[in-house]
Parts: sequence; C-alpha cells; structure tokens
Amino acid sequence: MSDDFRARARAWLAVNAPRRSAGDDEGAAGPTTIAAQKAFQASLYDAGFAGLTWPKEYGGQGLTGLEQIVWSQETRDFDLPNGAFFIGISMPGNTILEVGSEAQKKRYLPPMLRGEEIWCQLFSEPGAGSDVASLQTSAVRDGDEWVLNGQKVWTSGAQYSDFGAIIARTDPTKPKHSGISMFIVNMHAPGVTVRPLKVATGHSPFNEVFFDNVRIPADALIGEENKGWDAVVVMLRFERIAIGTMGGSRSNPLGYESLRDLAAGLGRTSEPGVRRSLAELYARSRGVGLFATLLREEAQAGRMPGARGSVAKLAGSDLARFAGTVAADVLGDQLAGFDSDELAAVTMMIVAAPGNAIAGGTSEIQRNIIGERVLGLAKDPGVDRSTPFNQLRVGTQRQN
Amino acid sequence: MPLILTDEEQALAESVRKFVADRSPLTSLRQLIASGEPYDADVWKQLTTQLGLAGFTIPESYGGVGAGYSALSVALTELGAGLVASPLLGCALAAEVLLRLDDHEARADLLPKIAGGELIATLAVASSAGGRVTASGSPVGPTLTGTVSPVLNGAEASVLLVAAEVDGATGLYLVDAGADGLTATRLTAVDHSRSLARITLVQTPARLLAGDAVAALSAAQDLANLALASESAGAMRACLDMTSNYAKIRVAFGQPIGAFQAVKHRLADMEKSWELGYAALRDAARAGDREPGRFGPAASVARVLLATAYAEAVVDTVQLHGGIGFTWEHDAHLYYKNGLSNKVLLGGPGDQLDRLADSLGI
Repeated sequence: MSDDFRARARAWLAVNAPRRSAGDDEGAAGPTTIAAQKAFQASLYDAGFAGLTWPKEYGGQGLTGLEQIVWSQETRDFDLPNGAFFIGISMPGNTILEVGSEAQKKRYLPPMLRGEEIWCQLFSEPGAGSDVASLQTSAVRDGDEWVLNGQKVWTSGAQYSDFGAIIARTDPTKPKHSGISMFIVNMHAPGVTVRPLKVATGHSPFNEVFFDNVRIPADALIGEENKGWDAVVVMLRFERIAIGTMGGSRSNPLGYESLRDLAAGLGRTSEPGVRRSLAELYARSRGVGLFATLLREEAQAGRMPGARGSVAKLAGSDLARFAGTVAADVLGDQLAGFDSDELAAVTMMIVAAPGNAIAGGTSEIQRNIIGERVLGLAKDPGVDRSTPFNQLRVGTQRQN
Repeated sequence: MPLILTDEEQALAESVRKFVADRSPLTSLRQLIASGEPYDADVWKQLTTQLGLAGFTIPESYGGVGAGYSALSVALTELGAGLVASPLLGCALAAEVLLRLDDHEARADLLPKIAGGELIATLAVASSAGGRVTASGSPVGPTLTGTVSPVLNGAEASVLLVAAEVDGATGLYLVDAGADGLTATRLTAVDHSRSLARITLVQTPARLLAGDAVAALSAAQDLANLALASESAGAMRACLDMTSNYAKIRVAFGQPIGAFQAVKHRLADMEKSWELGYAALRDAARAGDREPGRFGPAASVARVLLATAYAEAVVDTVQLHGGIGFTWEHDAHLYYKNGLSNKVLLGGPGDQLDRLADSLGI
C-alpha cells in the first residue's frame, strides 16, 4: 500500500518537482513567483498529493500518517515551489479542520489545497509576542459584522495572502485568555494595510499588518466567541509540529551535506576539529530528524504529539544555532569578508540562525511548554491569569 | 522500519522493568557497594535463565534466543534505568566477536555457555591510553604479553577474548582466565554498577581465533555503542523523572521549584536531549536488525547523543536537587558516576565522532 504510494510519489516528483538553488531564503516569498507557486500547488492537487491526511470531502486524499511519512521522506531531496501554501495548510487549515464550522471547512479548505487561496496567520503584535494572550487588537460586534482595529507583526506572506486567521480581543473586561476570539479575515478587505518589515539579514520575510475599521461577517468566527484561546492553542500546536518536523533539506546551506562540501572545498576536512564538528552536526541533525519521524509514527499509532511538538521546535532552533557555529568554524576568517555567492549564502544563514529561536514561539516559551505540559511542572508564578485584561500592564513600558 | 516499539518489545520492557523493581532496586546496588561484590549472582542467574538476556544476540543454533539488537536494546534500557550491575555487556561483546569471526570450534564451545549464563566471557581491547598487548610465537603456540585496562568484568570472566598485535596486524586470541602469566586486578570503578579490571599478560598461552579480527572488533564497537546508548537512555530517563518529580514537591519562595524558569528550562532541555537521543537509539536498534550496513553510523549517532546528554543530565540532577542531591544517601550520585563512566567507556564522544566521520567519508 505505502510502497505503491512511494513509487507513485517518486515518479511524480522526478518529473514535476524542481530543485531550488541553495541559499535564497526569499525565493519562496517573491510576489513574482506566486502565480508559479499557485500553479505548482494545483498540479500537486491534481496528482493527488495535496492534503494527504485531510478527508476527501474537504479536498484531501483521506490517506493515513504512513503516506505522510513516505511523502516527507521522498520530498526530502526536493524543494517544492509551493512554500507560500505551507503556513495556510499546516496552521489555519489544520485548525479550521479541527475546530472550524462545517461551512468554513467546505468553503476554505479545498481552495487552499487546489492552490487558489493563500493564507497567513495573524497572532503577534508589537506588545504581545511570547505573551501573545496580551494582544490589544480589538473586534467589536456591530450588527451582523465585527469591526477590527489594531496592528499585527511578523506576518509571513501577508503581502500575497488572500485570507488570514486573526485573533482579537472581544471582551477586555475578562482575564486575558478569556476575552479573545479567532476570525477569518479577507486580506483584500478595505482597511487592511500590509507593510514589509526588514530584518537583520536585510531581507523582508515578514510584514506588519494594520487593521483600520475592517468589517468582517459574523460567520467568520472560528470556534466560539471569547473561546479563541482554545483555537490558538490548537494552531500553535500545529505550528510547532510544522516547524519542528520540516526536516533538513539537502540544499540548506547550514545542513550537514552543504557544510561538509564547503569544508572540503576549503580544504579543511583533514583537520580533526572540523571533522568532529561535522560529525557532531550529522549526529545532531539525525537526532532531530528521527525525533520528527518518531512523532509522526506515534501519531499514526494514535498517540498524538501534543506539547511534544514544542520539543521538535526547540530542537530545530538549537540545531540551527549549532549549525551556525559549525559553519563559522568551517569558514574561519572567510566569514568576516568574502566575495563569492556560496560564502554569501552560508553567511546569510549564519546571520539568520538566531531568528529560528524567536519565530513561531521563542525557545524560552517552548521550554515553558515542555516543562509544564510534557513534564507536568507547576506554571510560572504570575498574577495576570485572573486579572481583567483592562487592568493589566502589557507591552513595553517606558520609564519617564 | 518503524522506530516505535512493537507490542512484543513493549511487553519485554515491562517485564524487565518489573524484574528490576522486584529483584534489583537501587538498594541492592548499595548492598553491592557495601559487600564489594561485583554483581549479585542470583540476579545474574535470573537475568540469564529467566529472561534469557545473555542469549538475545546469539542465534538459536548456538543455544541463544536470537531476539536481536532491538530486543537487547530495550532490555538494556530498563537495566540501565535501575543501574543493575551485571556482566551482560562483557558477555554480549565477547559473543559478538565470536559470531563475527570464523572460528567454529570456539563458537560451538563458548556461545551456548554464554547464552545460558554458565560462562562469563569478556572482550579485552586496549584503548589508546589503556595499554597494548603483543602476540609472539608461531600461530600454533602463541603467547601474549602486555596490559589492557579497563576490561569489563575482567576479574570475573573465566574466558577472555584479547586483541593483540603481531607484526603490525591485529588478531583476536582466546585466553583462559587461569592461564599462566595472566593477572586480573580489579580497578576502583568510578561507577559502582560496573566491575572493571586491569589484565596483565606475561607470555600467556593463547589461541589465535580464525577470522577477520578488525571486522569483528568493529562490530563489537558498534554493539558497545548501542548497548551504552541504551543503558544511558534508561538511566537518563530515570534522572529526568526523579528530578522533575522533586521539582513538583519541593517548595521554595512559596512555589514548587519547577515553577521557576531557572529550574523548568533546565528540565525542558533535558527532556529535549533525551527525546532526540532516544529517537536515534531506536533507529540504531532497528538498523542493527534490519539494515546492517547502516548500523555502525547509526549506533555512533545514538552513543554520541546519549552519552553526552546523560553526562550533562546527571550534573543537572545533582544541581536541581540542591544539597540533598549531593549526599551519599541520595541516589543522584549513583547516576552521576554511571554517567561519567558511560561517557568514556569503550571510547568516548571524541573517539566516536572520529569513527562516525570515518564512516561518513569526511
């Protein structure tokens, strides 16, 4: 069964899936390529490789986690040019599938898989990052509609998204976790403004998004009013699993294979310290990859990863950081100054590495989650879980 | 090739866990420390006759169970969690070497006895700092001279398989523990659950075993890596459970100490390292049974990850328990010493990384 699937996947990938040139971390997000990404996602759908584990009535393939494992193994050597769909399908998509209404599932899930509509996730705000429940964007009911006002940050793909899953405060008199709701927002609606955010690498992989009296219909609510935090927990769980199980593509400039080739090119693989660093990178990469496999196998056997997705996320960030140190060891003083595209690509990834431990929930927050929900330790001491939101101090408090 | 345990492996883990709890809890390790005995002979007898552990990697045709590497790994994980002292590892390495060589007489003679727990055998192979043995004389009547240290259960084994050099080539020799010129001196082992010895040989008569010694020693190293990774995984899990349980009941500044991020985050990192190491361990165990060509690097990966993670976890275990964790009465030091030893025994992380780099072709 899965052998048939593997053969089918392998054959299709060999003909249809291109290999990305290493190092272009903006490539997937360039607006000029969006049409091509939509076309690729559509061909993936037509060939029966989109939404493998989603039910058929929502456009999925109705297959099991086993095929999902096979697919991730077979795609490892390819960089599928549909990165713009990654967030939508793995986060809002999975969340709607789990907690959305029947009408939402029917309306929104199939077009995602068919490559017609791209989604983004609108959680973080300037004053609410790790403590995302202290968000200040508001949604106020007005007849059959909600009116959104506020600002979101670090929104990947907002500039080309058709829809977003947004969380907003719907009752500021309740404690912070109890007055939040999640909505579907049309990113083309009047009052939505998207501006690129330039990060340390000089690239702009994220945006800030402003909502100015944006009107959304009442049935855009995902789950129940003021129960949005439950949906947030679901989506963050999918986010950590998605990020943690992305796995290392062989074209990653900080991957083991790339750094081994780089070291060989620089004539440094005979140095005992470099050899050991590379072997350790291989070992650590294997550990992260095999843990992702183990999580998928457990899910297939009916044991859901739950908060252990945070282990995958933390481990992936740690690996990126370690890979950065190995790359810096391999480069030596070539890191300080270079004039080749190859070294520029590696250096850019070293500069980008710390971002992994921030995006998608900081490593500190992952450690809190692992401690509290995997190991069962007591929650962080804090007063803000029971205080009404409108009596809390949030965000950056400047001293006069 | 699924990594997760089969129902059969799950049942094996549970029965070994129950055995450890009933027959060899940590209090019995303390009794061994007091008595100076290397291991509890009754426990060893039950491990071999009741559970058949010494025969797990020995085929049925030689009196073993033929259960395979994964089953051995599952059992060793549970034994490691309980710091059960036994000559199992030395016996398993000796059996592995015999199985990889081509000496039918030695196999037929020794393997059934090892499998049945009647004979304690061990492998004596010198690390770079651990001495050197040279062989001399004709292949018909060679003698060995030199020292090897540390040797697993070297003072208890009645048969030793000794790696020795002659004319720049390595051979494996069968030596009787009672042979002329052989002295076994028990070492002070940092790990209370391990019995180690220095073996000194002075023109000791030995028999050269037929077969490729280098390949056999490499296979033994792979098995040693799997075995030590397995024991470390079990022991590290025990440390993690012990420490997180303590962090739930010990209160300071009005909170269970696990509420504080200084404590919580260390435990979270320990959990993360354990999960990655355990996944790598399952991969190595499966490769041993089903993809032998991949076993070497997979076992190195598991050993490197777990030996390093466990050695860090034991220090954190002591630290997070505070003063009580540094007392003799507390079990933390038993794991601390086991972690120190497991990291370096039969080749430490540096050696394993070099070996891994070799097998990756770096």
